[in-house]
Amino acid sequence: MNQTTSAPPRNRRARVMTAVFALVILIPSMLGFIAKFIEFIAVFRGQGEGSFAVTPMVNYLLATTGFFCLFGWALLHGMFREIEAPKQRMLETEEWLVRQEAASDSM
Amino acid sequence: MSSASLTDNRTVDVDRLVDRKLVLYFYLASLTYLFISMLGGLLMAFQLIRHNPLSGIEIFSPGRWRMVHTNAIAYGFLANALLGSMFWAVPRLTLRPVLSRLLSWFIFIAWQGVVLATAGGILLGQAQGLEWGETPTWIDPVALLGLALVVLNFLPSIVMTKGPLYVTLWYFMAALVWTFLTYAMGNFMPEYFVSGSAAGAVGGLFIHDLVGLFVTPIGWGLMYYFVPILLKKPIWSHGLSLVGFWGLAFFYPLQGIHHFLYTPIPMFLQYGAVISTIAVELVVASVIINFFGTLRGSGSAFITNLPIRWFYTGMIFYFLTCLQCAFQTTLTFQAIIHFTDWVVGHAHLVMFGVFGLWIQGIMTYLMPRLIGHEWYSRRLCEWHFWLSAISLAAMATDLIAGGLVQGHVWRALLPWDVSIEASMPFWVVRVFTGLGMFAGQIVFYVNIYRTFQLAQQGAPEAAPAARPALVGA
Amino acid sequence: MLESKGSVLVVAGLFFFGLAFVSNALVPALMYKDLPEKTAEQLVTANLRYQFEDLARRFPESFEKHVGQAPPDGPEKEQWLNDRCAELLRIGRKVYTGEACWHCHSQFVRPVSGESRRWGPVSQSWEYQNELQRPVLFGTRRVGPDLSREGGRRSNDWQAVHLFKPTLLSDGSVMPEYPWFFEGSPDKPNLRGLGLLTYLQWLGSWLPSYPYYEEWTSAHLPEGVEPGAVDQGAIDAANQGVTGDGDAEPEAQPDSQSAPQDNEAGQDSSGEAKPAEPAVSEPAAESPPAGATPESTTEPKPTDPKPTEPSPEPAPAEPAAGEVPAEQPIEGDRPPAPDEPTVQFSPWGPFFRQEVA
Repeated sequence: MNQTTSAPPRNRRARVMTAVFALVILIPSMLGFIAKFIEFIAVFRGQGEGSFAVTPMVNYLLATTGFFCLFGWALLHGMFREIEAPKQRMLETEEWLVRQEAASDSM
Repeated sequence: MSSASLTDNRTVDVDRLVDRKLVLYFYLASLTYLFISMLGGLLMAFQLIRHNPLSGIEIFSPGRWRMVHTNAIAYGFLANALLGSMFWAVPRLTLRPVLSRLLSWFIFIAWQGVVLATAGGILLGQAQGLEWGETPTWIDPVALLGLALVVLNFLPSIVMTKGPLYVTLWYFMAALVWTFLTYAMGNFMPEYFVSGSAAGAVGGLFIHDLVGLFVTPIGWGLMYYFVPILLKKPIWSHGLSLVGFWGLAFFYPLQGIHHFLYTPIPMFLQYGAVISTIAVELVVASVIINFFGTLRGSGSAFITNLPIRWFYTGMIFYFLTCLQCAFQTTLTFQAIIHFTDWVVGHAHLVMFGVFGLWIQGIMTYLMPRLIGHEWYSRRLCEWHFWLSAISLAAMATDLIAGGLVQGHVWRALLPWDVSIEASMPFWVVRVFTGLGMFAGQIVFYVNIYRTFQLAQQGAPEAAPAARPALVGA
Repeated sequence: MLESKGSVLVVAGLFFFGLAFVSNALVPALMYKDLPEKTAEQLVTANLRYQFEDLARRFPESFEKHVGQAPPDGPEKEQWLNDRCAELLRIGRKVYTGEACWHCHSQFVRPVSGESRRWGPVSQSWEYQNELQRPVLFGTRRVGPDLSREGGRRSNDWQAVHLFKPTLLSDGSVMPEYPWFFEGSPDKPNLRGLGLLTYLQWLGSWLPSYPYYEEWTSAHLPEGVEPGAVDQGAIDAANQGVTGDGDAEPEAQPDSQSAPQDNEAGQDSSGEAKPAEPAVSEPAAESPPAGATPESTTEPKPTDPKPTEPSPEPAPAEPAAGEVPAEQPIEGDRPPAPDEPTVQFSPWGPFFRQEVA
C-alpha cells in the first residue's frame, strides 16, 4: 500500500472499497451541502445583497465543476498511468549528476 | 523510459549546469539581510520593554525598523535564499541551464538593488501603507520588472522538459506566475484603483498570497527535491503530492480576507475565507503525511542527518502552524486573539520556524558544496540548529501565550495600561528568545567564515562523498 | 491535464488566482462601487476645521512658518483654511504610514470583545471610502489602542506632547518618541508634526460621536452645506441649532464628557470604556437632566440624520458594513451606561444581528 511505484493491476477489492468509501463520504456531504444551500437561498430571497452573497458560491461551484470535468477528461486520456514515474526519474537524474560531477572533479 | 532519458543527458555539460558562485552569492546576500532584519526585530523588541538604546533618533525609529524587519525577511532573506535554491534545483531537475547566465547575474544585482532601495526608502519614511508591501511606491514597478525577468529566466528550461513533470517543478512553475501576479495585485490595486474596505480585501489577499503563493510553493518544491535526495529514496507518493499541489492552488488564494475578520468587509466573504482556510488544513495534512511516509524506515536520519533534521523540524512547525491557523481563523478565536501577539507568534512560527529552518537546512547541505570544503565544525552546525529551533519555539510559545493574555485583558475592558503591563513579562522573554535566534545566526556566520578560510587554504583532508567543485570552477 | 505544464500554468497559475481575485477582491470592490470615494478636501468637516484652527491658535509660530498666514477674514480665508487642512491631512497620512503608526494602532472597531464600548461605534464601510484610506489602514496589531475614533478625544497640546515624549503623559507607555516632528520642544511642531496632528484629529471626525472638546460642541454640517466649503456662519448656526435649547451644554453632562476629557490626559494613555462613548451633544441639549436615553435621541433633531456630510447613501454601505443593527447615524448616540445592551455577534453576521440585553 505504501509504495505504488510501477503500476500493478488494481485488484477488484481495492476498487470496490474505494467506491464504497467515496460514496460513504460524498453522499452525506452532498446532502448536507444541498440542504444548507437551499436554506441559504431561502434566507436571502428578496434581499438586495442576497445576490452578492450567492456570487462567490456560484463562482466556486462553477470552478469546481469545471475542474472535475477536466480531471475526468484527463483520467480518460490515461494521464495518470505513470503518476509515480517522475519521482524515480528525479532520483536517477540526481545520482547521475553526482557521478558526473565526481568524475569531472577527479579529472 | 527513465533510462532512455538519462542516456540523452550525456550531452549535458555538468560543470556549466549550475552557476555555483551565483547560488553562493544569493545565500550570502540572504544571510546578510537576515542579520539586518534581526537587528530591526531586536530594536523593536527593546522598544517594547522600554529599553530602546537608540530612542529619539529618526533613522532608528522603531516603527520604520519594524517594517525593515518584515520586508528584509520577505524580500531579502526568503526571496534571495529561495531564488538561490531555485538556481540550484531547477537546472539539476531539468538538466538544462537557466535561460541566461548573464541574466541570472543581472537578476541578482537588480534584486539586491530593489531590496536595498526598499530598506532605504522605508528608513527615510517613504513606506507604502500596505503590510508586507511597504516598498515605496516608486520601487514597485522596478521590483515587478525584476520578477518578470525571473520568470523569463526559469520558465524556458522547465517548459522544455519532456514527459510528466516532477512535483517540484509544478510548484516552481505555478509560483513563478503567482508571485508576479500577487505582487502586481497587492502593490497597485489598493494604491491606485480601489480604496476602503475593498482595498482591505486586496491587502489581505496580498499578505496571504505572498506567503501562500510565493514562499510556500517554492519552499515545498524545494522540500520535494532535497528530502528524497538526502534520504536517497523517492517521495512516498507522487500521486499524493499532486493532491497537495492542486489543493494548495485552489484553496490557498481564497483565504486572503481571513486576515481582516470583523472588519467592514462583507461578512459572507469573511465566512468564505474561514471555510477555505479550514479546508486547506486537509491539504496540509496530506503533504505532511507524504513526507513522514517518506521518512518512515529511515527515521535515524532525523537524528544523524543535519539537513534532514532542519527540514523535518520545519515540517513539524508547519503542521503546528497550520493547525493553529485552522483554529485561529474561526470567528470565536478571532474575537480574542486578533490584534494580539498571538498573531505575531504565528507569523514568526511560519516565517522563521518553517521557511527559515528549511532554508538554513538547505544552506547547511549546500554550503560545503558551494564553498568547496566540508563544514569547519559539525559542532557549530549543531549549535546553530539547536539555538535557532529552541529559541524559535520558545518565542512562538511566549508570544502566543502573551497574545491570549492581551486578548482577555482587552475584552475585560481594563484600561489599556493594564494590557501593556500584562504583556511586559512576555515581551521580556521575547527579547531573550530573539537573542537566542540571533546567537544561532552568529554561530552560523562564524562557521561559514571558517569554512571559507579552510577552502582557501585548500586543506587536503576535505573529501566528501561527492567532492564538490571549487567555487567558481 | 493535472500533470501537464500547460494546465499548471493556466489552471493553477492563472485561473485559480483569477478566481480568488474575482471572489475576494473584485466582489467587494463592486459592492462598494456606489459609495463615492472622497478626496481629502471633502473630508474637511466642521469638527476637523475646529481642530485645525485650534492648531493655528496653539502653535501660532509653527503654524505660520510651515502652513502660512491665513488671509483676512472672508470667504478666501475659509477656502484657504480648507485647502491647507486637506493638504495637511495628506501629509499627516504620509507620516502616519511612513512611521508605521498603523502597525501598532489599528483603525477599526470590531463588533466583538466589547470594542464598541471601549472606543465607540463599530466601523462601517463608508468610513473608509476616501483618499486617505488608499491603501486602507485597518492594521493588524494593537500594541497601542485603536485610533479610528481618536480625533477630538484629546487636545492638540496633549497629542503634541505625547508624540514628543509619550512617557511625559502616560506613564509606562511603550510608544517610541518622535522628537523629529518638532523643532526642539513640543510647542514647536514642524510641518510633519502639524500634518500628523491634523490627521489624528481627523480620525473619527466624520462621526456624530466626535467628542466634546473643551468649549467646543460637536457639530455636524447642517443640511445643505457643501462639505468642501464650510463657512463659519453656517457652523455657528449649526451650533446654535444644536445647543440652542440651552447653552449649558458642557455642564449638562459634566461627568461623562468634559471630566474624563480633562483628567484622562493625566492618568492613562487611552480611552476606556466610558469616555469612549461620550454621546453626542444633542441628547443633553434636549433633555437637560443628564443621562439622556437613546430613545430621546432618536426623534428630535432634523440635523441628525445627516450627521456627517459623507454617507449620502448609507443604504449600499449597510449590507457590507451592517455592523450596527438599525441606522448608523444614531449609533454614536448610545449612552455610556455600563449596562447598555451590547450588540451580540450572531452567526448570521451582518444580516441578522440581535440586540441582547
